[in-house]
Amino acid sequence: MSKSYLDAGETHCAIGHPKSVFWQWMLTVDHKRIGLMYAAVIFTFFFVAVFVALTMRIELFAPGAQILDGDTFNQAFTLHGVIMIFLFIIPGVPAVFGNIVMPLMIGAKDVSFPRLNWFTFWLYIFGAIIALSSLWTGHGFADTGWTFYAPYSLNTNTNVVTTLVAAFILGMASILTGLNFLVTIHRLRAPGMDFFKMPLFVWGIYATAWIQLLATPVVGITLVLALLEKVFGIGIFDPAKGGDPVLFEHLFWIYSHPAVYLMILPAFGIMSEIIPTFSRREIFGYRTIALSSASIAGIGYLVWGHHLFTSGMSDLAKTIFSFLTFFVAIPTGIKFYDWVATMYKGQIHLTSPMLWALGTMITFVIGGLTGVTIAMIGADIHLQDTYYSVAHFHYAMLGGVVFLLFAGIHYWFPLMFGKMLNERKAKIGFYLNFVGFNVLWFPMFIAGYQGMPRRYFDYLPEFQIYHQISFFGALIFITGLIYMFTNFISSMKHGEPSGTNPWNATTLEWHLPSSPPPLENHSKVPYVDFRPYEYHHGEPVVKFNYETMQRID
Amino acid sequence: MDINTYKAQKAKYYKVLVGLLLLTTLTFVQPHLFLENATFAIQLMIGAVKAWLIVMYYMHLKGETLIGWTVAFAIALVVIFFATVITDVNHFQFKDSSYITEQHASAGEHVQHHEE
Amino acid sequence: MSHEEHGHEYVPEIATARDGKKYEVQGWQGDFYGGKLGFWLFMLTEVMMFGAMFLTLTYYFSLHHDAFIEASSEFSVLLGGTNTVVLLISALTMGLGLLKMRAGDVKGAKLMIYATMILAVVFLAIKGVEWTEDYHEGIFLGLPALQAGNPDSRSFGEILFFGMYFTMTGLHGFHIIIGIGLMIWLLKRINAGKVTTEHHILHFNIALYWDLVHLIWVFVFPYFYMIGAGHGH
Repeated sequence: MSKSYLDAGETHCAIGHPKSVFWQWMLTVDHKRIGLMYAAVIFTFFFVAVFVALTMRIELFAPGAQILDGDTFNQAFTLHGVIMIFLFIIPGVPAVFGNIVMPLMIGAKDVSFPRLNWFTFWLYIFGAIIALSSLWTGHGFADTGWTFYAPYSLNTNTNVVTTLVAAFILGMASILTGLNFLVTIHRLRAPGMDFFKMPLFVWGIYATAWIQLLATPVVGITLVLALLEKVFGIGIFDPAKGGDPVLFEHLFWIYSHPAVYLMILPAFGIMSEIIPTFSRREIFGYRTIALSSASIAGIGYLVWGHHLFTSGMSDLAKTIFSFLTFFVAIPTGIKFYDWVATMYKGQIHLTSPMLWALGTMITFVIGGLTGVTIAMIGADIHLQDTYYSVAHFHYAMLGGVVFLLFAGIHYWFPLMFGKMLNERKAKIGFYLNFVGFNVLWFPMFIAGYQGMPRRYFDYLPEFQIYHQISFFGALIFITGLIYMFTNFISSMKHGEPSGTNPWNATTLEWHLPSSPPPLENHSKVPYVDFRPYEYHHGEPVVKFNYETMQRID
Repeated sequence: MDINTYKAQKAKYYKVLVGLLLLTTLTFVQPHLFLENATFAIQLMIGAVKAWLIVMYYMHLKGETLIGWTVAFAIALVVIFFATVITDVNHFQFKDSSYITEQHASAGEHVQHHEE
Repeated sequence: MSHEEHGHEYVPEIATARDGKKYEVQGWQGDFYGGKLGFWLFMLTEVMMFGAMFLTLTYYFSLHHDAFIEASSEFSVLLGGTNTVVLLISALTMGLGLLKMRAGDVKGAKLMIYATMILAVVFLAIKGVEWTEDYHEGIFLGLPALQAGNPDSRSFGEILFFGMYFTMTGLHGFHIIIGIGLMIWLLKRINAGKVTTEHHILHFNIALYWDLVHLIWVFVFPYFYMIGAGHGH
């Protein structure tokens, strides 16, 4: 049996040539192993944050205090937000599948700077440790919300300083990932693969990398300024010294809004891979989908003001931001129409990845459309900071980004481990998650519309029914998550061998010489004179001799 | 590289240096000599010219295409952020009752800044 | 940042098209342009960072126009201006060093790097003198003049101006210190034979870095020292 990248000794290391398997993992510069390590870590943090959320749901089951007091509740939603955003979803798809799959898709042997990639992973770990260490030091975890708004964040005595330092380090890791991917995509594409022959997942990673690179530094410096303010009392955001908290909001959201596009663009890339494979057809509108990724990244820099609609911005600014926010929904809509058009008259295979993709189409549309609702200034005045916003962004982030991340795991599981997932269990897992998710989040639209504010520890009795329904949804959803992850782990050990191309797909990651992939990826770099999704009557057009990577069709 | 290229490039470096030194001198004397009212604008314009010289010649951007576009994109973003935020702060809705734009001798009216 | 392969020279792969034409595959090793591109992208992040700080500065300048100009007139244009010239010359020496390296004059390149380092230290020394002077006049982070609500408190505009001054020149100085560290590392790599006329991407990128540090000062200096210079003090 040929060796794979997972075998002992089959890896390149940043320092030396260690004999022990442990150090081979700790020092590996192989993009595939680094992606797996990111996956292991981010999903551990994901479950921690899910259980923090469950604790909040238990607390909110009835009005008044149940198991938490108000201050602890504030720390809980801050912890949930900081872990989910900085430790889970922003590294998210780029760190896992950007690392594992993107170089394979362009025919490269690794990223442009493998040692930087190794360093970036450990920088991420370092930042995560600092963030979580603040749970046990000083006055406990920050209680400001993950948004750290001034002036409360300046005056509270909880561990804001530690979290700001951690967020800065995590931001640096995000920047370096984006930088690495940008140079990789510009420099290491196989000969013949121009930009419009790249798979759409690579387009997604490319557009994301631009946001990682240019938007993150803005929040980085904002956090540094807030930090200096807390330590040296400079006065930048503190009204007592003439500072303006609204400036903090501007600077914070100049990053944090593009950040959500950073989350969704690679996820949409995954959708663009799954749909053609399981419709057995070339994707409809390749060029428009590619350019829509670029335009979402570009226009996404210009809409941050919709987070400040109620902060006293000028009417002109509000109007322009509202218009641009509506406008940025258009490229996303184009993608959805293109995906549906791809499925039309295709041979649909309802495998587990396809189920996840289709489920996401429903949940993300809800998330996206409710975002458009609150892009209307008048509606936003009423709905800002209510459960409506919370439901909106969970439908978009959880029902969009995370569902597609799960879809990606189901799709690329055979690539990563050389084994198939248990399909029956995978489908049960999907339905549990999908039903649970909707029961958990949909009532919150209604509760928010009725006026239930977010981040509130207590509430009026008229809202209780919504919290109770949500709680049961949460139980179903968490059951689904645990069931699904148990399937992942057992299939890693006992799954059926998959072969190199179980889905009979067209993109280059499915044309490796053996499964799981060998350390050096393709046996030879192919010359790419074909489009990424060429199917003829449901069968891939391009066929390779896997020793020479020459086309034999 | 051959000796002639080396001499040519060295000459260019010195020419740019002279340009930068002249502009720096201009920076020092302008507030005392001319257009004193527009000092801020003039100073930043001089800075922009110096920056252009440094980026084009010392940082060798002159021959680059892709990198040139990425630099232009980043600068354009910064300009847009500036234009948006600075215009907005000058049309702040509650400017008249804002605590931070006029200093009050006493504790004064402290406006509740709406927090998200 | 980038790396050089020595000992095992990298041989690029060849991909063959269907018509028999051969194409060289760009690997991640030995990619000078990739190293250049990567470092420029990193510098763009610095542009965004300092850009956001200039944004903050301009925000408060527009809110406190007169206070900013008054405060600016308190600074010594002599000291700040000297630093400007020092940094300018250091950009020249750094650039000449790179030129010599590319032309094969490794010894001359090292001398230029030393010269740049000395000028950088001079810059920091003058900045130290300035900050000490400010401290003795009561203008420093944490001192009562820059806090609110006490008899020595300056006006809002002045507090913000001086606060941003120490922040921005402090961060700039921090980048100078890093630059000195990078130059020491560069000298070590040259002495170890890892940076040569043929493989000098590290030298190239560090020179770019130093130009960026200079570039930031090109805007910091007039913004803090010159806007009030016509008002005498």
